[in-house]
Parts: sequence; C-alpha cells; structure tokens
Amino acid sequence: MIEATTGEILDYLADVIERAERFGATVLPPNDAETVAWERDGNELLMDLAVHPPVGRRSRLVEIVLRERWRAAGSDRWELAEYGYELRHHELAYRRGLHRHDVNSFVRTYGVTTHAHCEATMGNPACRHYLADPACRGALDGFDRLYGLWLTGARPDCSQLRCLG
Amino acid sequence: MDQLYYTPREVAAILRISDDAVLDLIHRGELPALRVSPRLIRIPVAGFDAWREGRKPRRRRVVIRTASNRIAIGEGESLPEGAQTLRR
Repeated sequence: MIEATTGEILDYLADVIERAERFGATVLPPNDAETVAWERDGNELLMDLAVHPPVGRRSRLVEIVLRERWRAAGSDRWELAEYGYELRHHELAYRRGLHRHDVNSFVRTYGVTTHAHCEATMGNPACRHYLADPACRGALDGFDRLYGLWLTGARPDCSQLRCLG
Repeated sequence: MDQLYYTPREVAAILRISDDAVLDLIHRGELPALRVSPRLIRIPVAGFDAWREGRKPRRRRVVIRTASNRIAIGEGESLPEGAQTLRR
C-alpha cells in the first residue's frame, strides 16, 4: 500500500505535472493553471489529470489520463486506494491502461487489486482484465510507461499479456 | 511520421559529446529520458528541445478543494458483480 502525508500528496501532484511538461506534454485544463488542486470528497482525495503528448498537429488525437483516489488513513495520512492511468490513442485507435480497483469483489474474482487494460482496437477488448506485470508504482511510473508506449509509435500487442478473464 | 525520440547516440552526435556524457546527463536527471526496456533508453525530441533551450516547467502551487465532479477508474470496463456500485 502506498501511503503519504498531506504535504507529500500536494508535492506529488506538482511532481507529476512537472514531469509531464519536462517531456514536452501539454497539460490540459484545469491543471494548466498556476494553482492546481486535489479534489476532496469526504474522506477521499481525487486526482484527475489529462495531458496530450507532444506530436504537433496530431497531438490532440492522443491523451494520457492519470486518475487516482486516495483515502484518509489516520491523522495526516492518506493511502492510495484506486488508480487508473490510461493512454487513449485515437489516431491509432487503441487504448492501454493500468488500473487498481478498490473493490473486494474484484480481488475475489481475479486475485489481484491491480490489472492492465489493453484494447488493440479501441472499444473492442479481447480480454476484460490482463495481469499487471509489474504493478504500477504510482502516477509517475504510470506516466512513464504510457508515454514510453506512445513513443514507440506502435499499437500494443495485447496478445503478449496474460489474460485474467 | 515526425521523429518522436532520439537515442543516446543521436543526442551525443547532436551535442558533440560522448555517449557516456549523455548517459551521465540522464543519470543525473538533467536530460529527460525514459528507459523503455532494460537495455533501451529513449530521449523524447520535445523534452530534448526544451532542455536544450533551457525551458523549464513552472512548479505548480497545489491546494485541496471540494470535489466538483466524479471520476471513473476504468471507464467502459466490465467489472465483477457488485463492483459497479462502488466505482466512482
């Protein structure tokens, strides 16, 4: 379980945005502003960040979406409960995701909290959930892995992944 | 298709420095680069250009505010029975 203090959480969002911009990505509103925010919903904090990779005229056809839900875990402590990091490549029509679901039924069914999502043809998954190997270590890792995939310019080979069912 | 990345060797040629000097810049965290496999390092062209021109991202101020919308993790996914009601 990934845990952090409130101060660390605040820095973490700034780190993720900074990393995306260092790699030439365009951060989409509202996170392009001078001040950005975690959204608080009860005892949860939500990250909802989207960027376009730097492809010039075609960049709008590709987006990397980084979403997280953190849950309060005591005084000034938060734990990462759920995440969804996705590359949606509308030009090549594929979708690749790294997910963690905070639901007991998912764990009971698949034996894991984290999984990979892969649609070699967007909207047409051959398998509902793939093994996440390795599991993602957070939004910085998720960004790096998805940006790296986009950088190859190739559609992912979902058949190389192990289907969980 | 536009070139999206350089190899360390290509960057070394552009900068007229050695391959090892490029790797040193990467390991020090100065030059933005990704290890896309255990043996392959890629330097995104856009990140390289920004670094070479001295452009740095501005550090955001981060606050916590009341949520204004819901987010969904894994939109369009088929989740086990009962999971859908817990999704955001």
